Amino acid sequence: MKRISSTKLYQGLNLTSFSLVMVFLYIPILILVIFSFNNAKIITGWKGFTLKYYAQLWDNDNIKQAFWNTMLIAGLSTLFSTVFGILTALGLENKKFSGRRLISGLIYIPLVIPDILMGVSLALLFNFTRVNTGMFTVLIAHITFCISYTVIVINSRLEGFDYSLVEAAMDLGAKPATIFWKVKLPLMLPGIIAAALLAFTLSIDDFIITFFTSGRGFDTLPIYVEGTIRRGTITTINSLSTLMIGFTLFLVIITKRIRKILISSL
Amino acid sequence: MSKTYKHFQSERDVISQAAEKRRNLASWALTAPALIWLIIFFLIPYLIVVIYSFLTPDIYDVKFELSLDAYRQAFNPDYLMTLFQSFRLAILTTVLCLLLGFPVAYFIARAKDKTKNTLLVFIIIPFWTNLIIRIFSWRIFLAYNGVLNDMLINIGLISQPLEIMRTDLAVILVMVYVYLPYMILPLYSVLEKMDFTLLHAAMDLGANEIKAFFRITLPLSMEGIFAGSLLVFIPALGAYLIPQLVGNQKTLYLGQVITYKIKNIPRNWPMASALSLTLLFFVAILLVLLFTLYKRSKSRRIT
Repeated sequence: MKRISSTKLYQGLNLTSFSLVMVFLYIPILILVIFSFNNAKIITGWKGFTLKYYAQLWDNDNIKQAFWNTMLIAGLSTLFSTVFGILTALGLENKKFSGRRLISGLIYIPLVIPDILMGVSLALLFNFTRVNTGMFTVLIAHITFCISYTVIVINSRLEGFDYSLVEAAMDLGAKPATIFWKVKLPLMLPGIIAAALLAFTLSIDDFIITFFTSGRGFDTLPIYVEGTIRRGTITTINSLSTLMIGFTLFLVIITKRIRKILISSL
Repeated sequence: MSKTYKHFQSERDVISQAAEKRRNLASWALTAPALIWLIIFFLIPYLIVVIYSFLTPDIYDVKFELSLDAYRQAFNPDYLMTLFQSFRLAILTTVLCLLLGFPVAYFIARAKDKTKNTLLVFIIIPFWTNLIIRIFSWRIFLAYNGVLNDMLINIGLISQPLEIMRTDLAVILVMVYVYLPYMILPLYSVLEKMDFTLLHAAMDLGANEIKAFFRITLPLSMEGIFAGSLLVFIPALGAYLIPQLVGNQKTLYLGQVITYKIKNIPRNWPMASALSLTLLFFVAILLVLLFTLYKRSKSRRIT
């Protein structure tokens, strides 16, 4: 009897901390969304409802440019890093592969080093080689940090792979190419989609590595937002942020199934 | 008879050896693109960082004259203080994330299967929301004319707005906010696999809640604690954006100093390189330490 009541206390404690953490996690975001409709130029109390900052957003060419830059970089870096990820994961499938340790090392090490260091080292590389920084250098940087994630996600999917299906296909006389396209790839697909989605999100989200590798004149959204906050003109940032949060929610909802794979592979 | 069998077997060995060689070659070919990419854009850049740390700074660039000045400067008290600040921030963030995150992860892990996923989504949404936006939302919340001060004044709790923005408190608050999901997710994945009947067994045998927690739950979740701490501590050590956007310029952190040395004019790239390598060195030590600790705790659990 005593045990049950104390367990309830224990659960109650956990419920309380869970609720508190939820409030902690969501209050700032919620306020941001609400205040994107606030009719005020600076951070201040509620001054009435307006949609004018959303309209301003639409008229702002810098924001539009930054948005397209972000999408371009995210799309291309997702494509490249996912292809690299598929190839590498397939190569690592061979447990007796002599380069296994070398490649796993190179894949895992970037994940345990603060990302500012990747930014610094790439900035120095581009300075040393006298490459003009811009879209091209940002793309290289994004592919570099996405590779580790795509390889790991796709690889973890391959590890739980049911080989009897491949063997069955072989027994039935399928050619290696047919086996790959008809059996293996479809089975790998959820992992590939999860990896691509992760790469896309990471690319959109990145500030610090982009900050070190983009030159003047090539802004992604995070770079634009940071610059605007620093300069103190924040009117459109609220509405822009709200739209970006909406985009995140949209991604989370459409990827309900993929999320499970992401969680299990992280 | 046995001779032919042996012959057959060795022939098969040769064939399988050849097949293995072919497979190995195929693996090299498949991994080559990523390997070459990471050598060029991950390893070589670090080599350049090492080289630059021994050069002489110029206003916009570096001069190719060897010097140890960058290291000499990196170990003067000002920069050691910065390093100390960064470590303090990272440790504090990790500990707070662990204390806050553990009960949450435990709560989700013990929820019903159906609710579990919904609860997880709530943890993941902020995690997927853009970092700058999350930091910016705290600026609105904590600002001098911000929502928190507004609310507190309206309730009558304070008469003067609190100055939380641009303090160390704001930095730690936002750090915990940003890194909390990184702690909760690995903790959850370990706790979810835990056998909770062990807890009941311990309590049946007379252990109280606290004892059962320290003797069973905690040791069994070590793996998640290590993973979560790593995921929080390492990025926290190199944090730039959070201290830059909500902190003050009196307490500088390592990430900020490194960035200033590269972005602000006069540039000092050798100095930025030396500081980056110092950071890398500490991260490496930490990883080795954590790994040994982890291995020891694992072997102790088995015996």
